[in-house]
Amino acid sequence: MNNSEYTTNTIQRRKYRVLLFVLFAVVLAIFLCSFWIGYYPLSPLQVVEAFLSKFGYSKEILPQAVTIFWNIRLPRILSAAFIGASLAVAGSSYQGMFRNPLVSPDILGVSSGAGLGAAFAILMGCTDWLVQIFAFIGGITAVAASYLISRKSAHSQTLSLVLTGSMIMALCNAGVTMIKYIADPNDVLQQITFWLMGSLTKTTMKSFLWSIIPMLIGLLIIFLLRWRMNLLTLDEEEARSLGINIRTYRLIFIGASTLLSAAAVCLGGLIGWVGLMIPHMARAFVGAAYERLIPASALLGAGYLILMDDLARSLLSMELPLGVITSIMGAPFFVYLIIKRRG
Amino acid sequence: MLLELQSVHGGYGKKEIIKGVDFHADHGDIVCLAGPNGCGKTTLFRLILGSLPLSDGHIFIDGTDIQTLSPKERANLIAYIPQYHTPIFSYTALEVVIMGRASHFSAFKMPKSIDRQAAFHALEKVNALHLANRPYTSLSGGQRQLILIARAICQSAKILIMDEPAASLDYANQQRLTYVIRSLAQNGYCIIMSTHSPEHLASLGSLVLLMKDGKSASFGTSSQVITPQNLKQVYGIDMDVLTVTNRHGAKRTICLPV
Repeated sequence: MNNSEYTTNTIQRRKYRVLLFVLFAVVLAIFLCSFWIGYYPLSPLQVVEAFLSKFGYSKEILPQAVTIFWNIRLPRILSAAFIGASLAVAGSSYQGMFRNPLVSPDILGVSSGAGLGAAFAILMGCTDWLVQIFAFIGGITAVAASYLISRKSAHSQTLSLVLTGSMIMALCNAGVTMIKYIADPNDVLQQITFWLMGSLTKTTMKSFLWSIIPMLIGLLIIFLLRWRMNLLTLDEEEARSLGINIRTYRLIFIGASTLLSAAAVCLGGLIGWVGLMIPHMARAFVGAAYERLIPASALLGAGYLILMDDLARSLLSMELPLGVITSIMGAPFFVYLIIKRRG
Repeated sequence: MLLELQSVHGGYGKKEIIKGVDFHADHGDIVCLAGPNGCGKTTLFRLILGSLPLSDGHIFIDGTDIQTLSPKERANLIAYIPQYHTPIFSYTALEVVIMGRASHFSAFKMPKSIDRQAAFHALEKVNALHLANRPYTSLSGGQRQLILIARAICQSAKILIMDEPAASLDYANQQRLTYVIRSLAQNGYCIIMSTHSPEHLASLGSLVLLMKDGKSASFGTSSQVITPQNLKQVYGIDMDVLTVTNRHGAKRTICLPV
């Protein structure tokens, strides 16, 4: 076919591939540079040497550098990357599925629900994988409650979902406070409090490996089905007439997004706003279509959260909780979104 | 016969809204569905599209009962063109049209070159090729309606169901739409549309189904159906059916309340 619209489309698709590659390169650069940053400074050379030490590199090297690289910084930076990608992809997915640009895992109450589930499991002294399962149950209950209650509302769907979400969040936070109240102050209380702040200070390779499995499953499901997500943003009647079983897809996407949100909460605690901000930023780069939005969200989310964690580690002489930093960045963004929608 | 409805009954749960509708249409037919508000036009569409179950009667497409079809098979036979709307996210017109290809490839696949070709062809058929890369949200109502028609065409169904396509369009856009609908019918598509002004398309030689209280009141060519008696029976007020001649000598029918 020979016409200019066809050519324009071809150029646009090529542009997207270049953009995605550039984005990947930038995220990779942020990832690598993050190894220098922290309380104990490592030079780029030390980083490389510490990395090689595991593979039989035998030159004299500080043992602290090896420990810091492998046991502290690597799990932490990987965690930041995967939490960022998971929250961003879950946010994109929730926004499409609920046809609502104002929602995200935290605004829907999923994160708080998962937090409550996990805190309960920690209180009970459960093992790591039970904590994951309780977090998932808490998250899926919260999103189901938000959605079902908002559907009964006479107000606009966009707004009522945000409102019921904040109600669920308040309820879950009350539950967490209750758990903190009865928790052993010497041990469990500290653990829960610290972790709910949203911080990657205590991530270990073990906790990372526990969370990476549900994250990879969730990311893979959404990545593979990403084109179909476009159809869910249509009116229900319309989507069905295009020949897709809309209920099945909705359940799959809710399951996968909640799996991602719950795993992110288990690993890093309550890290807010990423799931709301990143999808909108990604749309500004690659447009609304989900086949492009999902990869772009994953990369942007990963890069963004690694960068925010770098700030948390380096801004002051003491370390700041990551959740505080993402909130400082995210809350003004939400205000901007609300105002922009009016105009 | 391409589409055949036999004493179709159905509604929401136990509440029956459609209580016996019969009509049939073939390739190249335009059927206008008219009747007072709440007579069941939208519900009838939902029954034909399969989003509501029939409680009695049958709907056949090419002799196959649609209740035996999967959603995917049904989508290859019937397409739905809703009233134009504002989507939440800003897709390009081409991306909206390509969504019509959903029943043509499996869930894990992305649209391929062949799907894009089909979308461009569909846009060409409705004279909207120049809109392909524009954001759908920036288009006018009439343009969006054309894009949705293109999406139905690239779904490659032969029966197109249109929900009041002319509603809230200005004169020029209504005429453009009429032209597109007529050329689709000439190309063998069967078009079922609801409208509040059945005479609007009467000049196209379309069929008219008048409905009242969930039943078909009369069905036939527009000159058979659009009579003062039938309109009075359905709308409950006295109506004049007038024939006017335009400046080129062509005759048109208009209906006016007395």
